[in-house]
Amino acid sequence: MLRRKAAIVGLGGIGLLVFVAVTAPWIAPYEPAAQDLANVLAPPVWDGGDWAYPLGTDALGRDVLSRMIYGARSSVLISACAMLIGATLGLVTGLIAGFFGGLADTLIMRLGDVQLALPFILIAIVILGMMTERSPVHLIVVLGIPAWIVYARVVRARTLAEREQDYVRAAETIGARPLRRMLRYVLPQVRSVMPAIALIDLSHLVVMESTLSFLGFGLTSPHVSWGQILADGRQNMVVSPWLPVLPGVAIMLTVLCINLAVEGMRAQVEPRRRWWSTRWRRLGPRETQPGASALSATSAGPATASTPSAVSVPGDVLLDVRGLCVEFPAADGRVVQAVRGVSFTVGRGKILGIVGESGSGKSVTSYALLRLLSAPGRVSAGSAVFDGVDLLGVPERSMRRIRGRRIGMIFQNPVGSLNPVLTVGYQMVEAIRTHRDIDRRTAVEISDRVFRDVGFADPAHVMKQYPFRLSGGQNQRVMIAMTMAIEPELLLADEPTTALDVTTQAQVLDQLRRVRDEHGTSIVIISHDIGLIGEISDDVVVMYAGEVCESGPTEQVLREPRHPYTQALLESVPRPETGVTSLLRSIPGELPDPAQESTGCPFAPRCTSAMDVCRTHRPQPLTVSPAWTAACHLYTEERTEATRR
Amino acid sequence: MTPILELDDVRKHYSVGGGFARRGASVRAVDGVSLRLERGETLGLVGESGCGKSTLARTLVLLEKPDSGEVRFDGRPVSVTDAATLRRGVQIVFQDPYTSLPPHMKVRRIIAEPLMIHRIASGAELRARVDGLIADVGLPAAVADKLPGQLSGGQRQRVSIARALALEPSLLIADESVSALDVSVQAQILNLLNGLRERHGLTLLFVSHDIGVVTYVSQRIAVMYLGKIVEMGPAADVYGQPMHPYTRALMAAVPSLERRGRERIVVRGDPPDPKHPPPGCAFHPRCPMAQDLCRAESPPVLEWLPGRHVACHFALGGESYGRSTE
Repeated sequence: MLRRKAAIVGLGGIGLLVFVAVTAPWIAPYEPAAQDLANVLAPPVWDGGDWAYPLGTDALGRDVLSRMIYGARSSVLISACAMLIGATLGLVTGLIAGFFGGLADTLIMRLGDVQLALPFILIAIVILGMMTERSPVHLIVVLGIPAWIVYARVVRARTLAEREQDYVRAAETIGARPLRRMLRYVLPQVRSVMPAIALIDLSHLVVMESTLSFLGFGLTSPHVSWGQILADGRQNMVVSPWLPVLPGVAIMLTVLCINLAVEGMRAQVEPRRRWWSTRWRRLGPRETQPGASALSATSAGPATASTPSAVSVPGDVLLDVRGLCVEFPAADGRVVQAVRGVSFTVGRGKILGIVGESGSGKSVTSYALLRLLSAPGRVSAGSAVFDGVDLLGVPERSMRRIRGRRIGMIFQNPVGSLNPVLTVGYQMVEAIRTHRDIDRRTAVEISDRVFRDVGFADPAHVMKQYPFRLSGGQNQRVMIAMTMAIEPELLLADEPTTALDVTTQAQVLDQLRRVRDEHGTSIVIISHDIGLIGEISDDVVVMYAGEVCESGPTEQVLREPRHPYTQALLESVPRPETGVTSLLRSIPGELPDPAQESTGCPFAPRCTSAMDVCRTHRPQPLTVSPAWTAACHLYTEERTEATRR
Repeated sequence: MTPILELDDVRKHYSVGGGFARRGASVRAVDGVSLRLERGETLGLVGESGCGKSTLARTLVLLEKPDSGEVRFDGRPVSVTDAATLRRGVQIVFQDPYTSLPPHMKVRRIIAEPLMIHRIASGAELRARVDGLIADVGLPAAVADKLPGQLSGGQRQRVSIARALALEPSLLIADESVSALDVSVQAQILNLLNGLRERHGLTLLFVSHDIGVVTYVSQRIAVMYLGKIVEMGPAADVYGQPMHPYTRALMAAVPSLERRGRERIVVRGDPPDPKHPPPGCAFHPRCPMAQDLCRAESPPVLEWLPGRHVACHFALGGESYGRSTE
């Protein structure tokens, strides 16, 4: 808010200045050069002067108010025109240098370097000093032309980045010539940086113009400038101290207003999270990384949850999630429900697969379990009992002991999960020693063993490498090795292989299976790939729009899916053996829009077997067989009496 | 009939990593690729990241210039055909629907651009053709006045396809065009591409890392590894009886419910650094059946069975090694 107010004050000030500049001939009480020799150095009104000369007169009996008004006119005219010249030159040269590169780029940028190396003000003085008469045009040219380089540098950098974008390449493939690509495709993206630079440049030009005038190399009479008034006033400073103060204050206020406006504009272009504000209401959902990608559930009341495993004896269950709800307050005050009443259990030594498309809430669920949701997301309901401890209820201190030590994590982007400036081995040893009370030697030995386990032939060599020296697959194996060394009871793997190639993915999956087989670790693996989940998991949870559609033993659920969404998802994966002749089953429509509310089943708009009840009533999870539930009205009619709890 | 596209020993090398007082190494992104596309067929080009499949696709739409070898479109070498003719004949749909459309242009304008550039239509005719294209790719007419930012990923990819179809190309290249989409939407786009191919008599070059998707849409498959085509043949044959050990590994690596609990042939290690490819056959360090010959000599692409081109010294001799894959 403060920044917006500042911006309004700044823009208001600039507006006032422009108004004064434009209407100068009408609002100024006297001609700027008109002399009243009877009233030399008359004081301003607050110092006993009369209203004929509100700001007094100078040593030649000229009205100071009129001179200030005409000074504003010169200041605005010169700096605005100089800015336009500089901006135009800079935009054109920067665009050419960035877009065409090569010789044009070298020439333009070296010219800029040479110019920046020269003392600008001295050259300006030399040039202007050669003239006896100096009108605004002279100053505009001298100030405007050298300003290009500021724009050119920024525009060039932006153009270089924009030029490599796919849409510019696409324009090339449809036959757009370079000029068209530059003007129609790159320019509209690049020009958004111009207003902010232009305003900064403007404040600089106001100061430069005044400086030159003050030094006597600015406008010559009859033109008036603030710098000139300042210089004149300085000679009579002892008798009339207000004379140099007035133009000084005017210059300062102008620059201040421009800078406030720039600040406000920056706030609009790059919204900044305020570190001192933990009140999430102000923050939009865009700032909710990393959960934002999964943020597309309709907002509605939390649905009651299913408890899929009726067979599991509590002793077998390591993690029991019940009725988990996660919400993200949106910028406009509404609340987006990303996860709505999700329940599942993870058995000891079992692999649970959570499958869903983007926006299904699968990743948000995992972040919520680890209490790693970034603001403003929060858990609004539910419990997650891990070995007798409710992860969502324990104090942060105890959570820190569980996270990493007892629950390991593997994320999609292995390179981002490792520190790029430390060697893999160092991070490995540190991680082990943070969580296990052992000395360095033992930690190194453990590292050596687990690195061999994940298939590195030469652990000593790998441990000396930095993460960026290793491939994606190798980094992901490092992450798995780290987890194996710490020996957590539960491993959360969020899209662990999505960034990897298939052959590498197969290796990583084998490693995960070995971790389970050899250490008895329970694993929750989250993926969009139903084939992957089908291959590796013992139990599966199918999610859509923040809700569980179907859950149960993988063999049963994926072989004879009950929920239409599970069926459709399985059938939309191309199977080579069916060949091109058969039409691939596709789910019509798009994933639900998080902004829209729905009362019925979230899948109803895309479901081929949707009935009227599906659009009005949210289906409850129904037990298909002891450990298997499906939330669909198709099964309600026959089974209502038997299964409703 | 002449094939619509012929590639003859096409190579594209990049120099990378050069710096101050240090000479960069050369990466052979495309290292001697020869293939032909018949009219109306779909050829699937499959391989893992860095195998050069995208570079090859970009070469065909003149975004890259091959270092050597010849590309013939419609029987005429590309080097002597003028760019405008070629652009009208070959179009490409990119991978990422979020970066391949200009964010400041409305959908109508994006699709109209190619028609305006080539001065094919203007005024009312232009409008009608754009509306026709929007309908053709299964988009509601209302999207015409929206910006790409207001559309979903699947809709954007349809806009990309409409833009590519505007010039009525005879060859359409889909460079990982469905990889960034959710499965349910991916299926829609695959069906759309298949339908368009039939309706417009298009030839498709379908580039992807996903062998399942490629086999589904293609009549023939070419498998690339480190800049070279290692196996090429009819989709059903290659899928049913892969002859190159890399193809076998690639197929075995695709996870599925059917593969639960079964052992699989997993290739060890990672693809080699393309800056320093291994001598002999590029796949030998990871190959379960590598022999001394493989380490010494790069295998040529030979037609081992009718229509089946394989670059392996033991393409048939492999019988005894690992045919039990699937």
